[in-house]
Amino acid sequence: MLPSFSYVRAQTLDDALRQLSSDGAAVHAGGSDLLGCLRDGVFEASKVVSLSGLGDLRGIRETRNGGLRIGATTTIAEVAGNDLIRRRYRTLAQAAAVVASPQLRNQGTIGGNICQKPRCWYYRGEFDCMRKGGGMCYAAGGENQFHCILGGAGCFVVHPSDTAPALVALGATVRITGPRGVRTVPMEEFHVLPNVDFRRETVLDPGEIVTEILLPEPVSGMRSSYRKVRSRGAWDFALAGVAVALRFSGNRVEDGRVVLSGAAPVPWRSREAEEVLAGQRLDAGVARRAGEAAMRDARALRHNGYKIPLFRGLIEEQLLAIAES
Amino acid sequence: MRKLPEGLYYVEGLEVPETPEPRVAQDPWSDTTVVGRPLPRVDGYERVSGTAVYPSDVSLPRMLYGAILRCSCANGVVTSVDVSAAEGMPGVHGVISAFTPDDNATRPYSQYIKTNLFNPTCRCEGEPVAAVAAETPYQAHDALRAIQVAYDERPFVSDERRALEPGAAQVQEGGNSAGDPRVYERGDIARGFAEADVVLEETYRTECEIHTPLELHGCVAKWDGDSLTVWESTQGVYNVQAGVAGALGMPLSKVRVVGHYMGGGFGAKLQAGRYTLAAALLAKKTARPVKLIITREDSLLAVGNRPPANMRLKAGVRRDGTLTALELTALATGGYRGRGSGSVDFIARELYLCPNVRTELSDCYINAPPQRPFRGPGHPQGAWAVEQMLDQLADAIDMDPIELRAKNIATTSQARGNRPYTSNGFRECLVDGARAFRWEETRAEIAGGNRGHIKRGVGMAGGTWAAGGGGPPSIAVIKLFSDGSINLNMGASDIGTGTKTVMAMVVAEELGVDPGAIQIEHADTGTTQFASASGGSKTIPTESPAVRAAALEIKEQLLDLAAAQLSVDASTLALRDGTVVSAADSSVLLRVREIRALRRRGNLTGVGYRGPNPQDKVIAPFAAQFCEVEVNTLTGEVEIVRFLAAHDSGRIMNKLTCQNQAFGGVTMGIGYAMTERRILDGNETGKMVNKNWHDYKIPTAMDVPADMTFLPIEPEDTECNTVGAKGIGEPATIPTAAAVANAIAHATGVRVTDTPIDPTKLLQALAERREGE
Repeated sequence: MLPSFSYVRAQTLDDALRQLSSDGAAVHAGGSDLLGCLRDGVFEASKVVSLSGLGDLRGIRETRNGGLRIGATTTIAEVAGNDLIRRRYRTLAQAAAVVASPQLRNQGTIGGNICQKPRCWYYRGEFDCMRKGGGMCYAAGGENQFHCILGGAGCFVVHPSDTAPALVALGATVRITGPRGVRTVPMEEFHVLPNVDFRRETVLDPGEIVTEILLPEPVSGMRSSYRKVRSRGAWDFALAGVAVALRFSGNRVEDGRVVLSGAAPVPWRSREAEEVLAGQRLDAGVARRAGEAAMRDARALRHNGYKIPLFRGLIEEQLLAIAES
Repeated sequence: MRKLPEGLYYVEGLEVPETPEPRVAQDPWSDTTVVGRPLPRVDGYERVSGTAVYPSDVSLPRMLYGAILRCSCANGVVTSVDVSAAEGMPGVHGVISAFTPDDNATRPYSQYIKTNLFNPTCRCEGEPVAAVAAETPYQAHDALRAIQVAYDERPFVSDERRALEPGAAQVQEGGNSAGDPRVYERGDIARGFAEADVVLEETYRTECEIHTPLELHGCVAKWDGDSLTVWESTQGVYNVQAGVAGALGMPLSKVRVVGHYMGGGFGAKLQAGRYTLAAALLAKKTARPVKLIITREDSLLAVGNRPPANMRLKAGVRRDGTLTALELTALATGGYRGRGSGSVDFIARELYLCPNVRTELSDCYINAPPQRPFRGPGHPQGAWAVEQMLDQLADAIDMDPIELRAKNIATTSQARGNRPYTSNGFRECLVDGARAFRWEETRAEIAGGNRGHIKRGVGMAGGTWAAGGGGPPSIAVIKLFSDGSINLNMGASDIGTGTKTVMAMVVAEELGVDPGAIQIEHADTGTTQFASASGGSKTIPTESPAVRAAALEIKEQLLDLAAAQLSVDASTLALRDGTVVSAADSSVLLRVREIRALRRRGNLTGVGYRGPNPQDKVIAPFAAQFCEVEVNTLTGEVEIVRFLAAHDSGRIMNKLTCQNQAFGGVTMGIGYAMTERRILDGNETGKMVNKNWHDYKIPTAMDVPADMTFLPIEPEDTECNTVGAKGIGEPATIPTAAAVANAIAHATGVRVTDTPIDPTKLLQALAERREGE
C-alpha cells in the first residue's frame, strides 16, 4: 500500500520547479516507476508533483537543424509508434517497442524511462543496501544473476532503461531545467557510475527535471537497431541488450556506436567493439571479434557468468543482421 | 470400509465412508446429447461482466480492512511487539498480536502440537506477527508500519542442499532431518542393472514454484452474536469451516463459510488461512465485519509453494528398449516443517513397465515457508527426471523416444498392488498424439536441415496422476419445481474449472432441461451439502455421479407421478425436453406443469450420493504432450512454437472447459520449465528476493504458443464411476516441463537438467559445449 503524500499538478514549468524545490518533493511524469518506489519504500516523498498538466513537455517535432525534439513526458508508446522515429532513428523505435508491457508503454514517459531507478531486487526490496544509505551491497555476494559485468564498483546494479542505450547510440542530448536555469547534457554523460557516486543514477541535481531529448540530424548511411534478450516474452528487463548505430559507406563501416543495456550501471558504450568495426567490412569474423572485444574487460559475479557469452552472441548476431539489412 | 493409499493430501489415510445403495439403476451412458458438447460456462456472463462476486469483491456495511504484519527475518523469535503507536492512529480500530489477549485461536502446528495464531517463534520470513483492522486499507497498512517488533535473530539455512551439512543452522530443535528416508522397492534393483545393456545416471533439479493465483488469498469475516460467517476465496468451504471452528473452539453449526466464486487456488487454498483466523479475531474485537486480503508480496511468500526437488535417477535399458531398472533418490524440503518429497517418485514407480524399481525420498527442514499441495504434488518434479531420462535412454540405444515409451506401457498399476486399470489410454495418447503432432515428419524435416544459429527441435513427455478418479463422499440434492425448472444444490466449489457448467450439463442430460436455466446453489456450508475440497483433479469424477444419481431420482419420481395421472405403467414413459413422452413413439403426453400431484407438492427432491470406487481396479488419467521449439544458440532464447496435449481423462464432459484446463496446465508447465523460480537470498538474510510479479516470472501471452492443440483420448470406461470421467486439472501440467526440456535438448544437443531453462542456464551450457569443442 502506498504511504500518504500530497499531490500537486503543476500548471507551468516554473510552478513545477517551485513545487519541486521543497523538501520531500518528487517529480511524477508517468508514475510507473515512482509509485512502485514509494509503495516499496525505496525512498519517501511527502509531495508528488505531476508534470501531466504541462502540454509543452509532451510531443515529438522536427527541429530547425533537421533533428528531432522529444518532450520528456511523451509516452513510450508514442515514441515507439512515431513515423519519423521509426524511419530515421530505428534503434529508438525498436527500444521503445520492447519496453515492459503495452500498459506500461502507454503510461510511462521517455523522460521517466531514462531516469529510472535500478531494478536490483535488494535495492527494491526490504534490504538496507548501500545505494539506499545502508552499509553493504547484498548483491556482491548474493543473488546477482541479473547484475552487472561491466562498470560495477561497490554497487552492481544494471541500468534498466531500453531507450537510454538507443539514445546514447544516436548521440542524443538531454535538456535539463532547474532552479539555476537550463543546461544541456550529452546523453552519454547523463548517467553516473557508482565509482563516481553510488547514491545517484543521473547528473540531475535536486529540483532539476528533464524537459526534452534532442536527436541530431541523421547522417547518411546510418543504420541502427536495438535488440533485447529477456527471460520472458514481455514485461521484463534486459538480461542483455544492444543498441547499434553504424554509418556505412557501401558495405564498409565508417564509424558508429555500440551501446549495451543490462551490462552496467549505466548504458554502456563499448568503444572496444566500435574500434573493431571502424573502417571494416562487416562480415562474420568482424562481428565475432566485435562481440569478443566488447566483453574483453567484463568481469562476472558468481551467478551472472552467462552474460559474457550472451553479450558476445547477441552483438555478433545483431551486427550481422544490420550488415544484411 | 477401505483404506486409500496414504500420503494423498485430500484423503490423508482416512477411511472412505460407505454410501447408500442407489434406489435407481445407474447404467453407463452410451451416447450423450448434452454431456461432451463444448458449451460455454453457465456463469460466463457473470465472470466476464464483473457481476460475479468474488470474496475480494464482498463489501459489507461498516466493514473494516485488515492487514497482517509479518516476520521480516528468516529465523527469529519475537521478543516484543509494541502496538501503542499503531492503536492511536486515525481509523485504526483494533490491533492484535501474540502479546495482546485477543489471540485465543489455537491451530494445529503438526499432528501433536498446537500453537496460537501468532507464534513468537518464527522459523521463516513471512510468519504473522500482528494484525490490524482499520477504516481503509491504507490506514491499516500505515498502522502496520508503526508497529515496533523486536526480534532475537538466529542463524538460518535457506538451501536444502546445505541443510544437512555439519554446522548448518538448526531449523527445528531436533535437527534438520525431517525423519527417516522413505524407501520403496520392488524386484531386485542390482539384477535389473546387471541385465541392462545401457545404464545412465543423471542429476535433476526442479526449483521451488509458487502458486500465484490471480485472486489473492483472503476473506471477509462477520459476526452475528456468536455466529460467524466467512466469505473466503477457497477450494473447499467445508475445509475452511472445520479449520476455523477448530481454531476458535466453536461448533461447526456456528461457522458458515461461503465460497461462490474464487480466482484460482492450484492447491494453495485448500484450508483455512491464518488470515482467516486473524479476520475473525479482528472482527470479534472490533464488533465490525473485517475484510482481510493479503498482499501480492505475501501471496508469493507465505501461502505455499511447490518445493524444490533434487533428484538422482539411474536407469537401465536393454538394446531392444526393455526397461530393466529405475532407481530414484531425492532430497526435498517442506520448508520449516513437514515433508516436501511426497509423490516425487510416483511417475518412476508407476508409468512404465519396470520390474526392478527402488526409490528413496529424503526431506530436511529449511527456514522457508511450508509447502502446500500444488497441481499434481510431486508429479511434475518426478516427470522432469523420468521423462528426460527416457529420452536420454532412447538416444543411447538409438530408438525413437515414443517407441521406447510405447514399448514399456504398464498393463497394471505397479505402484498399487498390480491392480488393473479401469481404463488406460496411454498408448493412444502416445500414438494418436504423435500422429496429430506430425512427430515423425517434423523430426525428419529437422534431421534434414537445422543450419544457422536458430535450431528447431521437438520433444514430448508422458504422464499420469496418482489420483484423478475422485470418490465418496459427496451428496447432491436436486429440487424440481412444479413448473419443471430446477435447483441444484451441492457443496463443491467451482475453482474456475467449470464445475457448475458441467454439473448443469449432467442434470440436463438426464432431465432434458436447458443447462443455462438451472439454478445452482453451491459452496456454502450453511445451505449446501457436504463436498470435499476441489483438489486432486477429483471434482468432476466425484460430483458428477452424485448429481447424476440425484437427477435419476427426480426422473423416477416424476415419471411415477405422471404414470399415476395417465393411468399407465411408468416404464412406458420417458422425459424429453422437460416433457413426459411415450417411450415407444415419443408422442407428447403431459407437460411437467400439468402433473397435478407435483403442483400440490410444490416440488420434488432427489438426493444423490457418490458411490464407491471399484475395489479391485485403479482409476488413472494419462497424458502425452508434444512441443516444438526454436532455440537461438547465440543468445539462449527459446521460443515454444507449438504444443499438443493428448489426454486420457475418460469421458470429456465439456470439451471447452476441459480444453481450458489442458491449456492452463500447459501454460503453467511452460512457466515451470522456462521462467519460474523462488529465489531466497542465501548469503546474508535468507529472505525472498523475488516476491513480486516482475521478479517471479510467470509466463505471459508472449511465452505461450498460439498454436496449441488439445487432443482428447476417450477410452470407454464403464467402471471408474457412473459417468465415465476421470480428472484433467493436474495431468494437464505434469508432463509439460519435461516435454519442453526434451525439445530443447533435441534442438541443441545440450540438456539442461535444472529448471528453469532460461538463458542464464541454457547459454552457460551452450557456451561450455562450445569451449569443449
